Amino acid sequence: MKPRHRTFLFFVLACGLAIAPAKTYAHAQLDHAEPPVGSTVKAPREVRMSFTQALEPRFSKAQLRSGGDKAIASGGVDPAQPTQMVIHVPNNLAPGTYKVRWQVMSVDSHPTQGNFTFTVQP
Amino acid sequence: MRRFACLLAVLAAASVLTPRDALAHCFVGGRFFPATLNIDDPCVADELSLPTVSSFKNGDDPAARELDVSAEFSKRITEQFGVSIGTTWTHLRPPGGPNASGFQNLETSFKYQFLTVPEQEFVMSASLDIEWGNTGAAGVGAESFTTYTPTLFLGKGFGGLPDSMRWARPFGITAQVGYSIPSSRSSNNIDPDTGDLDVELHPQFLNYGFSLQYSMPYLKSSVVDLGLPDFFNHLIPIVEANFQTPVANNFNTGIGTTGTINPGVIWVGNKFQVGLEAIVPINRASGSGVGVMAQLHLYLDDIFPNSIGRPLFGQSKPVTPVFGN
Repeated sequence: MKPRHRTFLFFVLACGLAIAPAKTYAHAQLDHAEPPVGSTVKAPREVRMSFTQALEPRFSKAQLRSGGDKAIASGGVDPAQPTQMVIHVPNNLAPGTYKVRWQVMSVDSHPTQGNFTFTVQP
Repeated sequence: MRRFACLLAVLAAASVLTPRDALAHCFVGGRFFPATLNIDDPCVADELSLPTVSSFKNGDDPAARELDVSAEFSKRITEQFGVSIGTTWTHLRPPGGPNASGFQNLETSFKYQFLTVPEQEFVMSASLDIEWGNTGAAGVGAESFTTYTPTLFLGKGFGGLPDSMRWARPFGITAQVGYSIPSSRSSNNIDPDTGDLDVELHPQFLNYGFSLQYSMPYLKSSVVDLGLPDFFNHLIPIVEANFQTPVANNFNTGIGTTGTINPGVIWVGNKFQVGLEAIVPINRASGSGVGVMAQLHLYLDDIFPNSIGRPLFGQSKPVTPVFGN
């Protein structure tokens, strides 16, 4: 093997090792939600959010707010699914647009936050 | 010397053992600003750009084919203050030869992120960038003098736009403006052909640039989930631009504004990103034809969250979310 190729191989291996260590975490980001972000749906029973990393329950919260920005319900990390947050929604959610705000901390203490809306159809 | 080694050991131990919160690379509220290839992003972070490779025809007359391979390591000292060090290896292939290779001057940067407003997706920072003279090879254009460049950075996301413009919410901009001051006003050279004394002025430059980016991750997580294949949900199409205009000590030098515009795309993962951009010179003095630039960028705070990915000092406590009523 030529020295130039050997150097390149070493570089690729070093990058691979750096990117894929045995056990690491990263910033928890919203992967998907149900109801989906920006969707129009029938009144849901719950809002469930799946994140890319496991969450720290003490420092992770979510809230459902009305179109008038009034808090309706709060939620937290699902004890059975540490990568998911769930908000149990009151019955008979009226038609309209709702905002979900979330603020989470991954288990290695990286904080992230965000929000999205969904619409309940008449 | 022994005392210095002891201090380094203590710093290293502190960085490994101290538990603390880490925001790290450029998250501002729900917005993530990726590391940009041509200009710098507005945050302080633990990161490694290795390598950044660019190939283009430079502004020489006649234009030489230039290949640059660079690396930059950035380290947070505290949550808001960081340093970085970078170097570039250049290979020049002028028409008719001879070829030249060597390192450019060593560059360091001291950066302070002094304003972060998560609700507004707004961030500002300031840095002092230093290019250390005489640390590179003159054959590839490394200067013999040191250059100091105080620079201001900002980033702004448009997540606050009204519902009628929700498709524009994934847009974000970053910008920077700096003023470069050479350590000497001029240098004297003897023309090898005529023996005449040639005085070369070292102008002061205004450096300015921006990026306009459309974040597909933001579109999916905050605006609408279109159900696209996962690959597309990691893309950030981007246009960067970077310019230099001489503003002082440039009398009769014939040096004008130079710069490039760089359309491209960045793929953002959890622990690294990959960027690919074109290099479009704005005039002949900036280059000839379209070049290309690519970068692998590693998020050290996510790869090594318990060691080199943490700031050396400072401990910010986790904040319990409070949303109000």
